[in-house]
Amino acid sequence: MIRVAAVGDLHVGPEVAGTYRDRLGALPDQADVLLVAGDLTRHGTVEEGRVAAAELRDLGLPVVAVLGNHDYHSDAQEEIAGVLRDAGITVLEGTGTVLDCQGTRLGVAGGKGFGGGFAGRCASDFGEPEMKAFVGHTKEFAARLGGALLELDADVRIALTHYSPVEDTLAGEPPEIFPFLGSYLMAEAIDAAGVALAVHGHAHMGTEKGETPGGVRVRNVALPVIKQAYALYRLDGVEDAGLGAGDLAGTAGGPRNAR
Amino acid sequence: MTDPSGYLAAHIQERLAGRAHELGIRVDVRGEVIYLHGEVVNEERRREVEEAARGAAEGRPIRNEVSVVPVREPDGEERLS
Repeated sequence: MIRVAAVGDLHVGPEVAGTYRDRLGALPDQADVLLVAGDLTRHGTVEEGRVAAAELRDLGLPVVAVLGNHDYHSDAQEEIAGVLRDAGITVLEGTGTVLDCQGTRLGVAGGKGFGGGFAGRCASDFGEPEMKAFVGHTKEFAARLGGALLELDADVRIALTHYSPVEDTLAGEPPEIFPFLGSYLMAEAIDAAGVALAVHGHAHMGTEKGETPGGVRVRNVALPVIKQAYALYRLDGVEDAGLGAGDLAGTAGGPRNAR
Repeated sequence: MTDPSGYLAAHIQERLAGRAHELGIRVDVRGEVIYLHGEVVNEERRREVEEAARGAAEGRPIRNEVSVVPVREPDGEERLS
């Protein structure tokens, strides 16, 4: 059994310093890991990054984060990632990490991700360089996400992104902006890797629960969606020998996760 | 015929992104009145949204219907098995 706490879109700044942390006291008793799905800051300044790091440091459990589009706004994303890492937080960007959760190896791979849209209504890598750059950014990320997920030497895999891999969890947002909220390319990478759970944020007016076409559970943990300091997910059955994450998620056809 | 209030709503939304850094606020222009809808985490951000909108509102009245939703403690876990 693995207990995952997850949240996204904290959007902290100096004016709310300490208020989020005040809600995290029970975390070590409730979860094995806290996943943070991007947009830790509002304006993407290093000062806000320091506030975010102070909210999330020394919580008594591992914290794994990705950055979001807000964290890129002031072109200080590298510094923000550095400040978070200095506070002991693992920051992923097309990379992965493996944690020991009471004897079970939990692998988390992820990164910011990007938009592009969903099957049948998506942007194409065609035409102007601006369009190619837009779609190319997502393609490049999805390829790295897929590689990082498959490379995890883990019993259970989780994908952590800021942008959404599916449309389900965007329900509530205007459909016209779906292409700016996520991309099916990430879901394709997730489905190919036998993932137990995919976690994202970004869509404040979206819906918590969804599923990839391959049957992987997707959860939108943006703070305005879950309306609580973090959501808790318990992945049951993972202590059973040889049980892959694909089985946990009820997926059909994906490669087994156990190695 | 183009409805110019659509442009006004779009300009206000652009300003909300640039000044208040809030991307999830809906802006409706009905007659002379500008309505703001959505959720933020505290009263200060609610005020910031209104101030940012005012800068592009061309002097029209603003009805700030943005609600404040404070972060609360989690109330249980979901079992995924």
